[in-house]
Amino acid sequence: MSSQPNPIVTEAPLLLDVQNLRKSFGGVHALDGVSFSLKAGEVHALVGENGAGKSTLIKVLSGVHAHDDGTLTLDGAPFQPSDPHFAKAAGIQVVHQEFNLLNDLSVAENISIEAFPRTRFGLLDRTAMRERARAALDAIGLRDVDVNAPVASLGIAHRQLIEIARALQSESRILILDEPTATLTERETSRLFDIIAGIKAKGVTVVFVSHHLNEVFAISDRVTVLRNGQTIVTQDIEETSPDGVVAHMVGRALAGTAPKAFADPIGDDVVLSVNALRLTPSLPAEGISFDLRRGEILGIAGLVGAGRTEVLRGLFGADPVHSGTVTLDGRTLKINQPRDAIAAGIGFVTEDRKDEGLILGMEIAANISLASLRDVSLRGLLNFARERRLARQSGAQLTLKYGKVSDPASSLSGGNQQKVVLAKWLARTPKVLLLDEPTRGVDVGAKAEIYGILKDLAAQGVSMIVVSSELPELITLADRMLVMCENRIQGELLPDHYDQETILKLAYGQTGGVEGSTS
Amino acid sequence: MSSTDDLSGVPKQNAFSVRAIINNAGIGLALLVLILFFAVTTEHFLSPNNITNILTQITINLILAVGMTFVILIGGIDLSVGSVMAFAAVVAGKAITLPGLGTTELILLACLAGLLAGLVCGILNGVLSAYWSLPSFIITLGMLNIARGAALQVSDAQTIYSFPFAFEEFGSKLIYGVPVVFLLGLALVAIAWFVLNRTVFGRLIYGIGNNEEAVRLAGHPVFWYKVAAFTICGLTAGIAAIVYMARLSIASPIAGIGFELNAIAAVIIGGTSLSGGRGSVIGTLLGAFIIGVLANGLILIGLSDFMRQMITGVVIIIAVVLDHYRAKFSAT
Amino acid sequence: MKLMKIAAAAATGILLSSGLAAAEDKPKVGLVMKSLANEFFQNMLVGAEEHEAARGDYELLAVGMQNETDFESQINAVENFITQGVDAIVIAPADSRAMVRPVKKAMEAGIVVVNFDVALDEEAKKQQGLELAFVGPDNRGGAKLAGDALGKKLGEGGKVVIIEGNPGADNATQRRLGFEDSVAEHGLELLDSRTAHWETEEANQVFSTMLTAHPDIQGVMAANDSMAVGVVKALEAAGRDDIIVVGFDNIPAVVPMVEDGRMLATVDQFGQQMAANAIDLALEVVDGGPALEGWVKTPIELVTAE
Repeated sequence: MSSQPNPIVTEAPLLLDVQNLRKSFGGVHALDGVSFSLKAGEVHALVGENGAGKSTLIKVLSGVHAHDDGTLTLDGAPFQPSDPHFAKAAGIQVVHQEFNLLNDLSVAENISIEAFPRTRFGLLDRTAMRERARAALDAIGLRDVDVNAPVASLGIAHRQLIEIARALQSESRILILDEPTATLTERETSRLFDIIAGIKAKGVTVVFVSHHLNEVFAISDRVTVLRNGQTIVTQDIEETSPDGVVAHMVGRALAGTAPKAFADPIGDDVVLSVNALRLTPSLPAEGISFDLRRGEILGIAGLVGAGRTEVLRGLFGADPVHSGTVTLDGRTLKINQPRDAIAAGIGFVTEDRKDEGLILGMEIAANISLASLRDVSLRGLLNFARERRLARQSGAQLTLKYGKVSDPASSLSGGNQQKVVLAKWLARTPKVLLLDEPTRGVDVGAKAEIYGILKDLAAQGVSMIVVSSELPELITLADRMLVMCENRIQGELLPDHYDQETILKLAYGQTGGVEGSTS
Repeated sequence: MSSTDDLSGVPKQNAFSVRAIINNAGIGLALLVLILFFAVTTEHFLSPNNITNILTQITINLILAVGMTFVILIGGIDLSVGSVMAFAAVVAGKAITLPGLGTTELILLACLAGLLAGLVCGILNGVLSAYWSLPSFIITLGMLNIARGAALQVSDAQTIYSFPFAFEEFGSKLIYGVPVVFLLGLALVAIAWFVLNRTVFGRLIYGIGNNEEAVRLAGHPVFWYKVAAFTICGLTAGIAAIVYMARLSIASPIAGIGFELNAIAAVIIGGTSLSGGRGSVIGTLLGAFIIGVLANGLILIGLSDFMRQMITGVVIIIAVVLDHYRAKFSAT
Repeated sequence: MKLMKIAAAAATGILLSSGLAAAEDKPKVGLVMKSLANEFFQNMLVGAEEHEAARGDYELLAVGMQNETDFESQINAVENFITQGVDAIVIAPADSRAMVRPVKKAMEAGIVVVNFDVALDEEAKKQQGLELAFVGPDNRGGAKLAGDALGKKLGEGGKVVIIEGNPGADNATQRRLGFEDSVAEHGLELLDSRTAHWETEEANQVFSTMLTAHPDIQGVMAANDSMAVGVVKALEAAGRDDIIVVGFDNIPAVVPMVEDGRMLATVDQFGQQMAANAIDLALEVVDGGPALEGWVKTPIELVTAE
């Protein structure tokens, strides 16, 4: 099946033209006829679900993978990016989502790492290195970053920007940003967009990969949709709409992303009560206090670093707690370690799926049973039949797409991996589920499915606390929203007061107090 | 996202268990090639006596390597097993030469004392490295010296000898040409396989090696599992000490120098990843065989000691390089 | 600087006796030992301590090392003794070349030095312009005693193998040469010669494999008794009582083996007295006796069942 020919409007000269690109890994057709073109100086969005072929396309363009078939033309001449250096020399720079920074080295050293400046004697020229780093950072408006600071001391957002600065210091004509906003807060994202606009003004062509359609529509000139390794469509941004793009991405209309139209039957009984929780003595003395009712989804909004993740980790016993009380169903809990929280009926879907949530190298079934091994074993002996049954049941319940339950978790896409983490906790039928960035790195389709699952759970009486940096996600999910700022609860909102401006003001600490609260 | 996600949705052809079998099959194939090679190039390699010899020769290393497999699977290393074995041997030797007890009591007492000595060293290794999350490399390097010093101290640097006949007989007894001590080693392999593959404990040993934090956040007491892995390793050092004494009729405080490296080599050649989480005790069995067959066969073909040492080194490096590629393939 | 060296000596070596204050006029003798993990040297030290108590007219300061090749702490120990102003140093060098320089330094400081157990390298002594006698057993001669016993028993054409000590160690080399002398003299056939690093378990493994390769072996020469024990156990396991074993050192563990014929012979170099004898010689020189010259051979004896 060939992709339908798209009438590409060619007023501007084509910088890069890719026709019918094919690439297979073993028997898997990662790229199955991708056509794609870049006009000089445009911002071109590349969207598609996980597995659509975006990453492979980027890797072919940047010389990481050789393609099997198809033609690439750069500036009208045939282009064969045989290795990453070749691609870089041709002016193609990639900023990967997974950072390639050396955390213990300074910002300046990281920026110069590909070609350190040397003195006449062949020694490292530190002055030149620092100057170069300063210039590179200034060029993208990062004046507040100290070039001597170790990268490890910076936040994720700054690391991302330093990668961009590094990519841009050499002559780049095409800058490919692979999901640059996945880990950024909205403020950081808007700063990134300013930087992209600046780069574009200098004539650099930007390829922007993102799952967030609002971002795509905010900065792109054109958008190309990939699905199953094929180009579905390339459109000017004015000629399409987010719904249209989503329809192309998933090949069907999507339900479930609309904000909740009706209130879930939330009981009046308080399940979890948190009073003056503090993780370290240096935090504000009043601590964090809130109640969670049965079947309620409580959202926690706030900037990165506002202390949201810390609240969840403290409640779960993942990190030690300094003071405060937690009561569950009227019983005061003593939570020193995760097993205490789990025993009390609390589950925790962590922010970092790969490092904390999953054992990637182990079977899907083993991951699902990890927190309920007692249910699938007898006197310490594993009952594999029971374990597989549990995995298949949860798989069906959560519409998990997998080959066999004995496949490693690493064989799954991001969305399905997240479903495995959910399944792990659902196997314990928790009373309270803590979720930190539950849809990070998950594609649009799976996101909607996860929202559906969470709402179903709420309807069944499971109470949840959701921390997210995506406001639309919280607006979709939360029955009530807390906004945190600098380790305090800055405000509490009910759905009729959910709007971005109100939330952001609270998150930046500009306003305070409880608005529209019923409690 | 990473490249793996681009291939998602497509079921992996090699399931976890199948892949493990393929991995072991590769090592088994290497062993088979070695055996065929020596069978063709030497006269006596496949003679019943020599097979008995090889089985005897690999036993101590096999027993140590079984314990080492647990420690390496959780991502640790135990450099102390050679010294701990010597310490346990000396303690057991002191016990078995006590005056005024019957033979059976003496043997039981010696076995208990030796196992206990190994156990205590293992627990110390585990508690010290797990409690402070210190690299086990350093802690067990310390234990290497402590146990060696203790062995010299307890024995006054003298070789202990003159054990009951029944005890020595156990070390040299054959059943249809198979040494009883090797059968003991094989039984330990079987037990270890069962524990690692069929029990919750084994599942979590693999889990900790893969992703300790995920296991902790799933509510499991990671600390105790780590201590248990080191304890098992200390215990196998104690068992190895008993076998050493029964075979050689002495307990020497300078026994076992460098044995830890052979045990680690057997585990790694057997396909267990040094970074933990992946591998099997069946591989360890094959790894111990490869080392033993090499040592034996290279003498039979008349290679010099120095060449023998070099070739053993080459084999270890090949194994680690192969492991690197295995890890790479299983990652994509 | 000196303080650091003393600290280093205390840290790396094992300072066994440190009675600086005790002796007013008694001569002080510094004894530099090899690895005390080796029971041969451990026994030697015990012998020296008993000797000190028995004579009562000198003060013994003894330093040992952690392992056979740790000559660093020997150098530190010698320098430490120079600083302390001992009257004599009695040393069993861990390395026959590396110890020449510190020994020369000690002699230049007016200290009587007696080199025992292992001789300092002749070439290195010449280079440094050092004249020093050696007091010690003839390892090569001792090995030849054992080898000759085996040769006589087997007669011409007897097939033998050698189990060597650590490659590169001086006494291992001397003993191998001694065995080879016997092989030549008695017209024996040497089938194989391999190291087992002085170790029982390794000797057991190496020899059992050699036996497979050469089932017609008639005699085994082991460079020390620890390895001879491993050989004897391998023979028992193989059910062979027709192969004759000789060893070296006469450690207690082989005494019953020599008695019941599992071993033909071993060699006693009276290690326990070796240090004590060297101390006696050193004290004679300290008292104004003539300087030692050449090689003062210490007694060696073949030990058999008779």
